[in-house]
Amino acid sequence: MPGNRTKGFCASAVALALCAVLAGCGGSGESAGGGKVVLRYTWWGNPDRAERTERAVALFEKQHPDIDVATSFSGYDAYKQKLATQAAGGDAPDVMQLDYRQIDQYASGGVLLDLTRQKSVLRTSEIDPGLLATGRVDGVQYAIPQGRGTETVAYDVRTWKNSGVPLPGESWTWSQWADTMRALAKKTGKPGATDPGQSEDAFEVWLRGQGKTLYSKDGGLGFTTEDLTRWWTFTDELRREGAVSPAEQTTQLDGSVENTPLGRGTSVTDANWDAPASGFVALIPTGVALAPMPSGEDGTPGQYFKPSMFLGVSAGTGHPKEAAQLVDFMINDREAAMILGASRGIPVNETIRAEIGPRLKDFDKTIAAFQASLEGKLKDPPQAPPSGDNALQSTFQRDYDQVSYARMSPREAAENYVTEAKAELRS
Amino acid sequence: MTTTAIPAEARSAPATAPKRRPKREREGAAWVFLSPWVLGAIVLTLLPMAVSLYLSFTDYDLFNPPKWVGLRNYVQMFTEDPRYWRSVVTTLTYVLVAVPLQLALALVVALALKGMKRGKGFYRSAFYAPSLLGASMSIALVWRAVFNDGGTVDNLLGTGGWVNKPGWALLAVALLTVWQFGAPMVIFLAGLQQIPAELYEAAAVDGAGKWRQFLSVTVPMLSPVLFFNLVLQTIQAFQVFTPAFAVSAGKGGPADSTLVYTMYLYDRGFVASHMGYASAMAWVLLLVIGVVTAVLFRTSRSWVFYASEGDR
Repeated sequence: MPGNRTKGFCASAVALALCAVLAGCGGSGESAGGGKVVLRYTWWGNPDRAERTERAVALFEKQHPDIDVATSFSGYDAYKQKLATQAAGGDAPDVMQLDYRQIDQYASGGVLLDLTRQKSVLRTSEIDPGLLATGRVDGVQYAIPQGRGTETVAYDVRTWKNSGVPLPGESWTWSQWADTMRALAKKTGKPGATDPGQSEDAFEVWLRGQGKTLYSKDGGLGFTTEDLTRWWTFTDELRREGAVSPAEQTTQLDGSVENTPLGRGTSVTDANWDAPASGFVALIPTGVALAPMPSGEDGTPGQYFKPSMFLGVSAGTGHPKEAAQLVDFMINDREAAMILGASRGIPVNETIRAEIGPRLKDFDKTIAAFQASLEGKLKDPPQAPPSGDNALQSTFQRDYDQVSYARMSPREAAENYVTEAKAELRS
Repeated sequence: MTTTAIPAEARSAPATAPKRRPKREREGAAWVFLSPWVLGAIVLTLLPMAVSLYLSFTDYDLFNPPKWVGLRNYVQMFTEDPRYWRSVVTTLTYVLVAVPLQLALALVVALALKGMKRGKGFYRSAFYAPSLLGASMSIALVWRAVFNDGGTVDNLLGTGGWVNKPGWALLAVALLTVWQFGAPMVIFLAGLQQIPAELYEAAAVDGAGKWRQFLSVTVPMLSPVLFFNLVLQTIQAFQVFTPAFAVSAGKGGPADSTLVYTMYLYDRGFVASHMGYASAMAWVLLLVIGVVTAVLFRTSRSWVFYASEGDR
């Protein structure tokens, strides 16, 4: 008898344990109660973009009562790392925002779905063919551009005006820019700009102003150690003079506007992409305006129009059609476009752009006007960066850290970077 | 109840045969109960370890299939990668700073708590609490805010923010670990309470003061516990990740000053997508921890005193 009781106890214990295991498995299923399809949609950005995205997604859910969209977002650096981990684990979100730099790697790694197969629900006819092609790898459409962006110098209008330094005009060269930053620092007592030495994007603008490129046609480096040494010598001096932000502040940059010196109120300007610059409005309520990036000494513009970001669908999604519907909605829906404004760049759908352009409000209008002022003046964008670039962006920042903390000379750091970049681009 | 005795009995007397069945059944039941953990050990521990060992000989970017490269990752690590060595030096510095500080603090607090009559429970929990919270990212983020420029420490001491200064950032990371001294403290406390009061009485009769008692009674009697804590904390310190990650916002900065070994491993694996290289780093870390532990065990013979040895 005692033996039987033990057996019975065993059986129920095992049953309990199994229940727990099964219940645990059940929780990770794709569909929630009521047979709804659940899509995971992730992106990077700031609270301003988050607020608008949530509103747009709510509208999508209203139009498609059988689909639930679970969104999540973070700053760019954290997003990049998290997405790489998820993609590697075969757990990429159904719909994901992608950067120009990620497409090559993700597409060739088989993470992204061929979107031409979803033609029936995902319309691309109203996107400029040249722009659309930026989401193609080996002739396959893996991602759809979401907007057009360009780099800009965002500045705190009131502080600048109060300083008495003349406001920036239609164009300036890098040396005029440097002089202005020095003047601002002198008058306001705080650095004029975020130290651009840490930014691969700013370096690219500077290079292009001299007719050079970040990458060569065959995916190698398009510049020499000499070029990078000159750039870092230039920014190093400005930092030592106090014209741009000190190392302690530059090192806190993580891709979010909140952690830029301008966002923290410790500098007057910040070089940024125009779409995220809208995040400054909430941080500097007294007014933010945009100026063009400096050009080369002979007036050659370095900045360019770039597809600001893309939307891709996971190759492993259980709901390719619904995911494509969401992408279509984010890009082609008129109401969604009104809500999203220019938070991800000026819309790519040409009908919508023409229609909502004049109706844009607040900072979106500023961005649209800024882009219009550059129309026809800029050179063609470079081809998509090779996949190794994804890691090099942080390498660039890190190597410059060594310069800004005075641990290496600009030349030593540049040599370091070029060595690392060559190894990275080879593999 | 020796195992050989039962089959012998069973052979000679068939009547006792049923006795064997319950035993086998008991074993079966044991396996049923163990199965989740055995399966877990195989699927979640042994298999991943084997895969990671294999990956350490490959070039694997997370997206494309791994390419066999033999020992290249290891060669590159030891001969061509200055950042690797920087991370090794950073980690060793961290271990040498954090572990002794943490153990010393744990011991001091344990000694203070031992003699305490009232409020013991409260203080014990209060000092232990940080260790419970410690693994969490949120505390590390608070730490970052406290030591940031414009943070609490900056305001009090005018330091300008430790986490932004290459010379100070690692100390801020170490302090976060030191602050979580609760676990070794509790173990010390248990060890202290095991020391017979007669030893102190005898020492006092012989004219030993408090300091003498500490050196001649407490330290030797506590040495096994001290050794246990030392081994455990050293192993943990080699694997430090969360505080360094949070304090440097995931970058090991400023200027690589908080780039501890596991941070660099993470950087290679998930930021630069060199999973093969990261796996190789992980295996080297395992070996190093093994060697360090072995060395600690070796040296322990000369300073750890086990009371039972005296009886032999």
